[in-house]
Amino acid sequence: MKAVILAAGEGKRLRPYTENIPKVMLPIVNKPILEYVFDAVANSGIDEIIVVVGYKKEVILEYFKDYKKAKITYVIQDKQLGTAHALLQAKKYISQPFIVLSGDNIIDKNSISKLISDNSIYSILIKEHPHPSKYGVVFLEKNYLKEIVEKPKEEMGKFISTGIYKLPKSVFTIIEDLASEGIYALSSVIQTIVNQQEEVNTILAESWMDIVYPWDLIKVNETMIYEAPSSISGTIEKGVTIKGDVLVGKNTTIYSGCYIVGPVVIGDGCEIGPSVCIFPSTTIGDNSVVHPFSQIRNTIVMENVHVGSNSLLKNSIIGKGTIIDNNFSSINGTTTVEIEGEFKKLKNMGAMIGDDCNIGSSVIVDSGKIIGRNCKISSMKRIIDNISSNSNVM
Amino acid sequence: MCGIIGYNGFRNADRVLIDGLKRLEYRGYDSAGIGVIGKKLNIYKEVGEISKLEKYIPSLDGDLGIGHTRWATHGSVTKENAHPHLSGNKKIAIIHNGIIENFKTLKEELEKQGVKFRTQTDTEVIAHLIEKHYKGNLENAVYSALNKIKGSYAIVAICEDEPGKIIGARKESPLVIGVGDNENFLASDIPALLKYTNRVIFLDDGEMCVVNKNSISIFDENNKEISKEEQLIKWDFKDAEKSGFPHFMLKEIYDQPDTVQRVFLGRISEINRNINFPEKVVNLINNNVSSIHIVSCGTSFYSGLVGKYFIEKLTDIPVVVELSSEYRYFGTKKEQSLVIGITQSGETADTLAALKEAKNSGCKTLVVTNVIGSTATRIADAYILTQSGPEIGVAATKTFTSQILVLFLIGLKLALLNNRIGADKLYEHILDLKGLSKKVRQVLDKSEEIKEIAKILKDSKSIFFIGRGINYPISLEGALKLKEISYIHAEGFAAGELKHGPFALLTKTTPVVAVVTNDSTYDKMIANIGEVKARGPQVIAIAEENDTEIEKHADYVLRFPSNSSILSCVSIAVILQLLSYYVANLRGCSIDKPRNLAKSVTVE
Repeated sequence: MKAVILAAGEGKRLRPYTENIPKVMLPIVNKPILEYVFDAVANSGIDEIIVVVGYKKEVILEYFKDYKKAKITYVIQDKQLGTAHALLQAKKYISQPFIVLSGDNIIDKNSISKLISDNSIYSILIKEHPHPSKYGVVFLEKNYLKEIVEKPKEEMGKFISTGIYKLPKSVFTIIEDLASEGIYALSSVIQTIVNQQEEVNTILAESWMDIVYPWDLIKVNETMIYEAPSSISGTIEKGVTIKGDVLVGKNTTIYSGCYIVGPVVIGDGCEIGPSVCIFPSTTIGDNSVVHPFSQIRNTIVMENVHVGSNSLLKNSIIGKGTIIDNNFSSINGTTTVEIEGEFKKLKNMGAMIGDDCNIGSSVIVDSGKIIGRNCKISSMKRIIDNISSNSNVM
Repeated sequence: MCGIIGYNGFRNADRVLIDGLKRLEYRGYDSAGIGVIGKKLNIYKEVGEISKLEKYIPSLDGDLGIGHTRWATHGSVTKENAHPHLSGNKKIAIIHNGIIENFKTLKEELEKQGVKFRTQTDTEVIAHLIEKHYKGNLENAVYSALNKIKGSYAIVAICEDEPGKIIGARKESPLVIGVGDNENFLASDIPALLKYTNRVIFLDDGEMCVVNKNSISIFDENNKEISKEEQLIKWDFKDAEKSGFPHFMLKEIYDQPDTVQRVFLGRISEINRNINFPEKVVNLINNNVSSIHIVSCGTSFYSGLVGKYFIEKLTDIPVVVELSSEYRYFGTKKEQSLVIGITQSGETADTLAALKEAKNSGCKTLVVTNVIGSTATRIADAYILTQSGPEIGVAATKTFTSQILVLFLIGLKLALLNNRIGADKLYEHILDLKGLSKKVRQVLDKSEEIKEIAKILKDSKSIFFIGRGINYPISLEGALKLKEISYIHAEGFAAGELKHGPFALLTKTTPVVAVVTNDSTYDKMIANIGEVKARGPQVIAIAEENDTEIEKHADYVLRFPSNSSILSCVSIAVILQLLSYYVANLRGCSIDKPRNLAKSVTVE
């Protein structure tokens, strides 16, 4: 069976991290989200993956050029009109029933196996969710799909659609019909199929995670880090304490006096210490350096990051190539963020700093604040508001 | 639904045709075939996959041919019915898309005249008609034959007696001409050509063309010669191996934020303030190096010149940079001297010969190369890899920046070994190195601005590149890149040298690209720009982001991120690479394979 993976989207709500890469390439435990999806699909017995790419497609093609676990074919969606439109781009490669899934949701291989082996013509993976109204809420009748309500205004229902389906080839005719009316969402296509009295079987997914906003990266990272193997390469100097599951990449040096409590993942070519404390559930990308006496907790540090001495990073995200000078501090606490006109409370949030920033000495960032890509912050500043990309805080 | 490809050039036609047919596969087909004229006309056809056809054809020599993927309309799916179709005397072969409406009448007429048909296709009629009208000139025969035909067609014909040309004609079926250097193409679809050229001429209904290796003539429906303009095709996404980039060169330019990083992977420790090289390398350079010779060719020669500035500045050890082909015969070879050979492939014959010569004279030899296990790594006493990954574009890009960074690291290590640099000063250099990737990304972010400047330069006959100090070799490399891939005459000069000769060549129509950095050469560069402006040419300055003075002097300014260190030359090199790329692309040049050039030159 073939799988179509939709990976053309930009992920505007994940800016600044998606300014240079597509959403599906954001790192979770030092690995792009899409690689988790590819692996799950390949391990469930799919042998050919058709990937619909669009926004910053070069990044995807380059990263997966040597991917061995399945055959990959790329198709392009030039304009990101909608999920059904994206799927339509793969039409010419499909001759039999297939599965379709989104490249930016982490899914386990057992759920996919269940979907593949299901005998119904149409089936959908669904998931229980405490706040279904953020998603396509799914209503069932005797295990069959009755209705999908996209992002209802009030809380209702119990299950949500994961956007993962098994479909017959004939679905393309329905997609084309609806596209001619300007309807491009896959959920609308499925609703139309239900309305035509077709049976759409529902299967409960075991584990499914969605990443919509930057802070979701931390949450998903926290969960996925348990699956990372623990192994130590590189050089660990005398006097380093390592507890729990810790992965240290090759060519990395951990200097004396460091105290690391797993689960922690440190990439290749890093330098940590001396006397740095790293607590769960932190991941540090390749070629990053953390200078003496700093503390990092539950934080995603991407590649090529420089963290100066005496810094505190807590529940934070540091984009790749960012340089942070000494005495940086991310204030943690509860904060309210405004998203698309709605206010949302975030608990225990630190700082979210984009790629390629230059942060001076003794900078403090308030809880939950986002600093865009390529910003320059002078020394001794306290950041109390979001800073847009390419800004200069003097 | 059928696909057409025709080729006339210097490559093996069968390879080009099969490759083109594979690119037409997406149109759908049930059989395929090719016809190639070598010593004589040979036809190969097969039902099913193109790979099946590919296995079945022997290696053909012949540089002209036609290929077709068939989607059956008249006649069933058989080997016989696949195209190309032959005339009765088997000297003319044609491929055809479309439907001949009056084919029954024509067939009956021809049969009455005694013509024997081999297939049920409508296409075969055209082949016989052409033969009937053939009097030693294929285009006239095709023209006469097409006059008899009603219906839609795109046809391509070749004739054994005229092995230098392909005739194409269209009516209501697509046919485009692909224009290359010393080779030309015909195809039903652009993707079939894009691997070889992005310059095309679209034929209109009723038009016919004669495609030779070096010329193309187009005729209207009255058989009167007309002229049509070439068009540039923006690259379409077809080639996964280029990761979605239209050319390897562009991909490799965009690799650089990553490759500049890979140069020092495992080689610098920030906390320990050290440069780590393999023991062999350290032993080689840790022993009283009194002078250094760098030997190399082409782009590697220019990276050697940049390296000279680095090493002399960091160590005070005199560095002589020589062309391998000259050093080999004329260079001084002293025993205590360290000879550094630079070769991307590790197979450059001139550099290998120079290294052997140096080794035989008792010099210590070190090689900077991108290819582990290459001959150079085996000849030299020790080697350092640039770790850039394969470079496929003939014009070197990422290996140039990696080579100069390796030389920078060698300079730092020598300085450390000779106690010429404070450990904390080294730390600053390490931070600069680590920040480089970001700076290159910032340059790439500005590619649109560089593209605009390329539009200004693209029609120039000659372009000068000037710079001082370390920017002099960078200017030389900028000029080399441009001439290699865009075929525009370009020269790099030390800015101070202009008045000693090159001024004689400077006219209003010679744009000058000036590299200006905020160092001790700044005022002199501004003065040089003034001298140039006084003679009328446009000046494109490449200057630091925070340089507000420069726009008063230059016509256009391209910016690179301000960087006090000497490593800003890396950002500048990337700007010049992009500039050359966009100029060549606008001119429709074959960027990854420039004419007369090879990636690694293994002859002396």
